[in-house]
Amino acid sequence: MSVLKAQGLGKIYSSKGNVAYKALEDIELQVEAGEFVGVMGPSGSGKTTLLNLLATIDRPTSGQIEINGVNPSKLIEKKLALFRRRELGFVFQDFNLLDTLSIKENIILPLVLEGMAPRIIEQKLAPIAEFLQIAPILEKRTYEVSGGQKQRAAIARAIIHQPSLVLADELTGNLDSKAAKDVMDALKDMNERYKATILMVTHDPFSASYCQRIVFIKDGKFFSEIRRGANRQAFFQQILEALSVLGGNFDDVPFARA
Amino acid sequence: MTFRSLALSNIRGNWRSYSAFFLSSVFSVLIFYIYAAFLAHPDVVNGNIMAATKVRRGMVFCEYLIVIFSFLFVLYSNSAFLKTRKQEFGLFSLFGMTKAQLRRLVIYENTAIAVLAIAVGIGLGMLFSKLFFMALGVLLDMDETIPFAVPLKAVWLTGGGFFLLFMVISLWTALRIGRNEIIDLLNAARKPKGQLVYSIWLVALAIVCLATSYGVALSMTPENSEGLTSPLIVLVTVVIGTYFLFTQLSVLFLRFIQKRRGVYYKRTNMIVYSQLGYKIKDNARILFTVSLLSAVIMTALGAVYILQIGSTEEMVKRSPYSIVYIEEGLNSHKVIDPKQMERIIQEDGFKVTREAKFTGVKLSDPVIKSGEVERSYDWSSALIMSLGDYNKLASSLGEPIQTLQEGTVKVSVPIYGDNPFGSGTVEGKLNGVHRSFEMSEAINAAVINTTDFNYVTLVMDDLSFARLLSGIPEDKLLVAYAFELSNWKKAGETATKLQQLVPKELLPGTDFKRSIRYASSAEEISLTVFIGIFIALLFFIASGSMIYFKLFTELQEDQAQFKSLSRIGMTRGEIRKIVVTQIGIVFFVPCVVGIVHTLFAMMALDNLMESSNWIYSFVVIGIYIAMQSIYFLFACGSYMKSMLRGATA
Repeated sequence: MSVLKAQGLGKIYSSKGNVAYKALEDIELQVEAGEFVGVMGPSGSGKTTLLNLLATIDRPTSGQIEINGVNPSKLIEKKLALFRRRELGFVFQDFNLLDTLSIKENIILPLVLEGMAPRIIEQKLAPIAEFLQIAPILEKRTYEVSGGQKQRAAIARAIIHQPSLVLADELTGNLDSKAAKDVMDALKDMNERYKATILMVTHDPFSASYCQRIVFIKDGKFFSEIRRGANRQAFFQQILEALSVLGGNFDDVPFARA
Repeated sequence: MTFRSLALSNIRGNWRSYSAFFLSSVFSVLIFYIYAAFLAHPDVVNGNIMAATKVRRGMVFCEYLIVIFSFLFVLYSNSAFLKTRKQEFGLFSLFGMTKAQLRRLVIYENTAIAVLAIAVGIGLGMLFSKLFFMALGVLLDMDETIPFAVPLKAVWLTGGGFFLLFMVISLWTALRIGRNEIIDLLNAARKPKGQLVYSIWLVALAIVCLATSYGVALSMTPENSEGLTSPLIVLVTVVIGTYFLFTQLSVLFLRFIQKRRGVYYKRTNMIVYSQLGYKIKDNARILFTVSLLSAVIMTALGAVYILQIGSTEEMVKRSPYSIVYIEEGLNSHKVIDPKQMERIIQEDGFKVTREAKFTGVKLSDPVIKSGEVERSYDWSSALIMSLGDYNKLASSLGEPIQTLQEGTVKVSVPIYGDNPFGSGTVEGKLNGVHRSFEMSEAINAAVINTTDFNYVTLVMDDLSFARLLSGIPEDKLLVAYAFELSNWKKAGETATKLQQLVPKELLPGTDFKRSIRYASSAEEISLTVFIGIFIALLFFIASGSMIYFKLFTELQEDQAQFKSLSRIGMTRGEIRKIVVTQIGIVFFVPCVVGIVHTLFAMMALDNLMESSNWIYSFVVIGIYIAMQSIYFLFACGSYMKSMLRGATA
């Protein structure tokens, strides 16, 4: 069963007096339940645009998306927000945790917004927190914990309400290599253990090597696709080769953030 | 780009946060100018407007009040601006702007704002001064209108004074900037929000202080509060208590809510309450200031209002009838011709709603003896009346009915009169013959207005009275006539007309003055209210603008937060709900605290005045709530708009 089906997806940015700019053109993408898919591409290739379309915070100018059988562009704004809340989970590069809330409160936010009973919330939280090794820091505030811990909390938040699809955007971009490895291990475990369907946008070959399948895009168009065999090391090499074919600038993490 | 144009574009860029401050400054300049224009008006200075002396002192006092308040308000706003712009200053320093240049930039900006505010304020002031003069003319009951004028002295005083005020403050704030490291300035906005803490001791202090102030306020009576000690204790404890209420008790309360999962984990509540803690903590000082300001405004207006109601009630109690006269001789009509009076009353459009007439006997040179106490009343004779008449009058007024033992009399002295008497005797001359009556009791009561015939009234049982009456010739009897007019508050002119018909030597036996007294006290109060209401409005606008300003300094932070919330699927409706709840609490919590303070102050005032009118202060409170609600809706709408613009972008 496919969770995500995008057909002929395109996005043209145009404003008065400017030349129309094709950010995305004719993208076909299908993600099956339980898959862990990566999207890679150089700066300006349209990765972020694609993610925004899939995240339903932007609308395509052509083509259509179907997530779990629903076409989100047909929903009115309020339904769309609820759809995002129930069907999608998000992990962002800058964590997006609210600093007025504790780690625990951040994680359970999607459940609280749904009006779930406090008892059930606690029941759902416990195993995930245990599994992601963040149980000891649940009562802490966001500024008291490390980047890796924040990102694992964000993963917990993205998964606690069992969404159909988890979207991850450069989630290791702000982390050092040790923390990045921990976070990717956690995400992979989530995929395997909770059968979470994950779509991740990244420029980092190491993070990408955790995926089962990688779609490359360039200049807004589909470029190539590779699948992982049994060995992650071999897959990493494969990715590097594909990137060298793809060319382009991969240093798209802004200098100030590095 | 010159340095000056940089300053100007800074103002333009920060206009949203500047606007509320600017408008309140304009408003203070406006009010100050209008008062100054009246005080320096050629007709007032020349003494052409006699009535001006009635309001002069009040206005001068208000001018001082405006200056002091504006000073504090501008000082606060300026330092708050600098705080919010730390990052910007950090950036300027990073680009190599020297501290001296930064200071100059701030002074330029402030000068521009000051000049603009003063110009707009005085301009609007000129526009509205005619309106103000017209209203004042109506209240002062002047026949001629006060002509429009722009006294140069007022313009200079307002312009110069406020310019000086702005400049002194901006110099002072400018000197305080640039003491931090650049990196601290740049990171100022990104400081993490710490755990909310409270001290149980300070919480206890807050509760003790508030309890003390309320307790002391309520226990004040006219007897025990001669000095300034009690009011001072109330003032100090209420200030301390309110401060810690916002900084400490609020945190305690939020902690309590956070522990109640059922409430806290209910949809958007979690975000509302978790942010509210920081909002209240960050804004504690403003909320504190605003609640005290609201309390001051409402207490002052409430006090004036209650005093007005109290004085009217008192007037009616002391003088139960609009028109009263007592004359000698049955049907002599030498005080006033009843037909003529009736005609005048009718012509002026009034009706007699209640009327009383009774016959009494005059007791000259009355002396009351009771134990050690002996009082003689040489300015007034006493009036002897029957118990039947007394009770008839009393029951028509709803006053208590009296009973008597045969052979004794009850003495009634006015409500405001001294009454040290128990039982004793009353002596005096009855138709030239010395007589003495046994007095069972002396009461303070008024069943009819007091004149020089009846400062002291003797109430006698009907049988003895009839016997007494038969021994007095008809032309020596006293007859009291009393009339209550419909709409008596407006009957001042009619009463004056009637009073002119009374022969001068008989005036002491009449009391037509209630309507006249009411008119003059009403004028005084409406003038006080008229002048005071602008000050109240100024306080109100300024306190609202502080909150408004604070809201907008947090806008960016909130925008970022709601942007991420909307990404993970929070609906617009939910965001609106959160924002409205939060702004609502920030707007109305100080309002509620102010109201509670006001109510206690009003009850204390009631105790001091020995009246029970505090319930009327709800009129003032209601108006205040309505105005605050309008302000709230305005702020909410404007905030929501900028918020959504940022969050969806």
